[in-house]
Amino acid sequence: MKRTLLGVFSMLLVLVLLAGCGSTANNANPATSSTTTSSDQSGSAGGQKTFKVAYIARAQSDSFAAWLANAVKDEAKKYPNIKLDVFDGQANDDKENSMIENAITSKYDLIIVQPNNGEAQRPYVEKIVKAGIFAITTNARISGIEGASSVDAKPYEQAAVNARAALTQIPKNAKVVVLNGPSGNFHADERRRSWQAEFFDKRPDVKIVGEQIANWNKDEAMKYMEDWVQANDKIDAVISMNDNMAAGALEVVKDNPKYKDMLVYGVDGTAEACLLIKEGRMTSTCLQNAFELAEKLLDTSNKLLTGQAKQIDIDIGNPLITKDNVDQYIDLLKKAGAIQ
Amino acid sequence: MEENIKLRVSQIEKSFPGVKALDKIDFAVKKGSVHVLCGENGAGKSTLMKIINGIYQPDSGQIYIDEKPVKINSPIQARNLGISMIFQELNYIPEMTVEENIFLGNLPVNRFGKVNWKEVRQRTKELLKTENLPYSPTTLLKDLTVSDIQMLEITKAISYKSDIIIMDEPTSAITLKEAEKLFVKIGELKARGVSIIYISHKLDEIFRIADEITVLRDGTVVESHSREELDIETVISLMVGRKLTNTYPKEQIEIGEDLLQVENLNCANVYHDISFHARKGEIVGFAGLVGAGRTEVMRSLFGLDPRDSGTIRVRGKEVNIKNVGQSIENGMVMLSEDRRRYGIVPMRSVEENTTLSHLKKVFYGFRHHRKVEQSIVSDIFKKLKVKTPALDTVIASLSGGNQQKVVLAKWMIRDPDILILDEPTRGIDVGAKFEIYKLMTDLAREGKVIIMVSSELPELIGMCDRIYVMAKGTITGEIAREDFSQELIMKYATGTLTSNGVK
Amino acid sequence: MDLRNNFWSTARKKYSIYMVLVTLFIVCSFVNENFLSVNNLTNISRQLAVTTILAFGETMLIICGMLDLSAGSVLALSGVFAVYTYKMYGSLLAAVLVGILTGVVCNLINVVMISTFKAPPFIATLAMMTMARGVALLFTKGQNILQLGNFVVLGQGSIGIIPIPVVFLIVVAIFTWYILKHTRFGRSLYAVGGNEEASIASGINVHKVKYMAFIINGVLVGLAGVLFMSRVNAGLPNGAINYEFTALTAAIIGGTSFSGGIGTAGGTLAGAFIVGFLDNIMNLTNIDSYVQQIIRGAIIALAVIYDIHSKNRRTKSMLGRIDDRAVEKKPN
Repeated sequence: MKRTLLGVFSMLLVLVLLAGCGSTANNANPATSSTTTSSDQSGSAGGQKTFKVAYIARAQSDSFAAWLANAVKDEAKKYPNIKLDVFDGQANDDKENSMIENAITSKYDLIIVQPNNGEAQRPYVEKIVKAGIFAITTNARISGIEGASSVDAKPYEQAAVNARAALTQIPKNAKVVVLNGPSGNFHADERRRSWQAEFFDKRPDVKIVGEQIANWNKDEAMKYMEDWVQANDKIDAVISMNDNMAAGALEVVKDNPKYKDMLVYGVDGTAEACLLIKEGRMTSTCLQNAFELAEKLLDTSNKLLTGQAKQIDIDIGNPLITKDNVDQYIDLLKKAGAIQ
Repeated sequence: MEENIKLRVSQIEKSFPGVKALDKIDFAVKKGSVHVLCGENGAGKSTLMKIINGIYQPDSGQIYIDEKPVKINSPIQARNLGISMIFQELNYIPEMTVEENIFLGNLPVNRFGKVNWKEVRQRTKELLKTENLPYSPTTLLKDLTVSDIQMLEITKAISYKSDIIIMDEPTSAITLKEAEKLFVKIGELKARGVSIIYISHKLDEIFRIADEITVLRDGTVVESHSREELDIETVISLMVGRKLTNTYPKEQIEIGEDLLQVENLNCANVYHDISFHARKGEIVGFAGLVGAGRTEVMRSLFGLDPRDSGTIRVRGKEVNIKNVGQSIENGMVMLSEDRRRYGIVPMRSVEENTTLSHLKKVFYGFRHHRKVEQSIVSDIFKKLKVKTPALDTVIASLSGGNQQKVVLAKWMIRDPDILILDEPTRGIDVGAKFEIYKLMTDLAREGKVIIMVSSELPELIGMCDRIYVMAKGTITGEIAREDFSQELIMKYATGTLTSNGVK
Repeated sequence: MDLRNNFWSTARKKYSIYMVLVTLFIVCSFVNENFLSVNNLTNISRQLAVTTILAFGETMLIICGMLDLSAGSVLALSGVFAVYTYKMYGSLLAAVLVGILTGVVCNLINVVMISTFKAPPFIATLAMMTMARGVALLFTKGQNILQLGNFVVLGQGSIGIIPIPVVFLIVVAIFTWYILKHTRFGRSLYAVGGNEEASIASGINVHKVKYMAFIINGVLVGLAGVLFMSRVNAGLPNGAINYEFTALTAAIIGGTSFSGGIGTAGGTLAGAFIVGFLDNIMNLTNIDSYVQQIIRGAIIALAVIYDIHSKNRRTKSMLGRIDDRAVEKKPN
């Protein structure tokens, strides 16, 4: 009886595994193992020399990182000479570092690193360069490595475009709440630093009545916002380090007329934020455009691999999305399938 | 004479919620003597010893050592005063070595806290040598027997220079031969002037080693005498507070037709060719040495362990028993030898432990019937004379004998036809033993079948109508009551004799 | 001897957790004037609903000597599937059913590993935790599902002034209380958790008990998943990370013992609200994030120490038998 069960159970497990691998092959979706992706692409290169490129993502479970990884994969299909493998750093410095080491050992021609924490990956990116392999760091860049290229948006700037707009939008003596990303995260810290320097230092009249770490999460942000709404008779603005948390804060007050004119700032330019801006409920966000990043990444890779350049450092734009220009971004996201 | 007193307790009182455990206890232990403390479970022996060892504080009263008043707040303080206790249930860490165990909590360290292992090794070797123990300092405790560990505990006590050693039922888990070794050791200790307080139920051994005997009952000292002034019968009557006319309340009961028939039970490498039967009103004994396979057969029969082949018939009808549930359905229940492992759910109440075997009786009509449960449990407790402060008392806090009665109560509420009792009187006191024998007799009179597995030949001979003897996984002999003798049983049990009548 | 209960000593032992809750409630009311408002109290209940529903599942499992580390991940997976179903078919009922079914299937896999193949619950559910999260991310490609329309009514709507998640919470609380107090299955949970071997030897079908426990847990996790996604108005494959720990915390503070065999529905509810009140008052008074974490940790430590302390008192209480924890050598 038990033996039959064991059989059935292991077969189920195998089925699940196959299903997982199958879908990886179909939509070229992230998976820690990259064997299947490589096998069905290896034949397509023809006579031309193909280059092996490794993309080591910060984490596949972080929605922006996942978007970027998908975009990079789609973009790679446009380059017949490039064979791309994606690895998942699982939001863990240790794992990401060992993946970089593995990629060096596997003799990739080029390695793109999306660091989990720039300083932690720095020595490993240096190792890539030392091994004579091209390196690109992205989102966020690790600057100052001789021989390593980079493609990035600047987290400081992303927050700053919002903060500068907020300088004039937020009324005098306003009460605001701040939602932070996880402490120690590069983007979280940079964005918060930017708001401090570009806004709070210049507007001493504005009072922070609540500031908490909501770990980029919508549900955690909701909880904090609910409590703040109880504790304060008025909140003039929500300053959030990403769009998820901003959307969470808005979810709490969405039916409350008292907060109809509350200003809400985010960063990332997610589909949800664009829709909220379109509805006039969110004030602004800054697009971190994964498509543009992916495009530039592959372009840079191609140039490096084909010998057109030795080192490239470029930035994508930090466009501020407001009610006035949101439509063009919604079109962009529709094209990407993020909005139906 | 008076200056010979090593330890004296005076007017000790101790209460626990709902129970007065000790009431004005007085007793004294002489230097270099063995003082036996006996009494039924729950009489207060363990509590008293825990007070002397500093685990409990008395509510009132005074302890004197060498006639000087002392206050003992912890076992460490007790140790410093020269008192050590060897517990009934030895607590030890199996992965620890002999030397680590001896110096546990007392490791010699230098000024930086570094352990001086060289000294540990040296001193352990010396100790083992003087105590004449054959193991090496690096032996792991898990490789030792219970008796070895007991010796080790005594050695440890000696290493603390204890001159009062308390032993709580030291022979309950060791063999007769090992017990002999222990008695020799006790003699040695006595000769060195160590005073020993010895707690035991086993009256024969008490009379072998005691210099003085104090009997406790219901938290008071009944009497305290030197051994010469007492005999076994008197001690028993002092313990239970009444004269027991007969140690085994065996009655001649008319035996009916076959109720249980077991044929050719087999389980590879465990037992083979087991066939036996039991009739209405019959008490059937299973004798044999440890490891003969008696418990294994019973566990298979009860559906706890699988078996390879064999048929079981209850009331002449073949039954298919694959799990305990089916066994209970057929009116067969089993009291396990290891109460703590298979008998009780320690942190739940006595009430819940009792009804566990028959939840349908208290959960029906989509709810729990608390009143029904209370009355079922109260009734059966009254019948079995279970002593508990309340029905929601946690079972782990009862004495061993009372726990055993609760486990029995659990089965009695099922009103079973066949009771398998595996070592039903192990580790419980004379009074409770007698009550269990009495219950067996009552059940037999009601026409039930009782199968009793026991390692104590006197109780088998005293209680059974028929005895099967097992050796090496099979039945080697069947003896009718008129032929009972210890010699015959032992011959079958050791395999020197195999009866042809039994297959 | 009086076999009935000694009312006061039992009351003190049994109800101490509720006294802590009431005391905390009174203290909070004085500390911040916003605490004691209908709005704030409904808020707290709404915030607690999802994790407390998980906590009831965990309570039953812990009582039975197991636990579920996969609750948060399975919740996300169930929620994402439910959201997807709703977007495909527009039926709230279908969405809820799919959510619950997902929870049950995942938990069936858990219990097959645990009960049939004897994997330790800690490891088995840890594996499920990773797997379920992986499936959720794979299914959504790591992106949030948006524009849920009327799906939000389950998480954000109210009946009168009582938010719908709180209605579910109340129903689940009563259900758990009923199961633990009034069913054979509930009594068996305590027995199996307290001593599995003794339960088998008493004729209890331990397999069945474990399967039932996980299936019920699956229903609760699935339901929690639907409520969670509905409340946040999105299908978040990354949602509810570490919710299992919040749920375990509530159960432990509520007096559920990790050694099995002990715990009540009321205790868990009280435990959840103790944590909820504390979180709420700390946010109302705007206490620093880092300090909040320290306080939360300290509370768990206190609860566990209290649990162990009171357990010791209990075993010592009668006629003196201190014996647990010992590695017992079986008399040969």
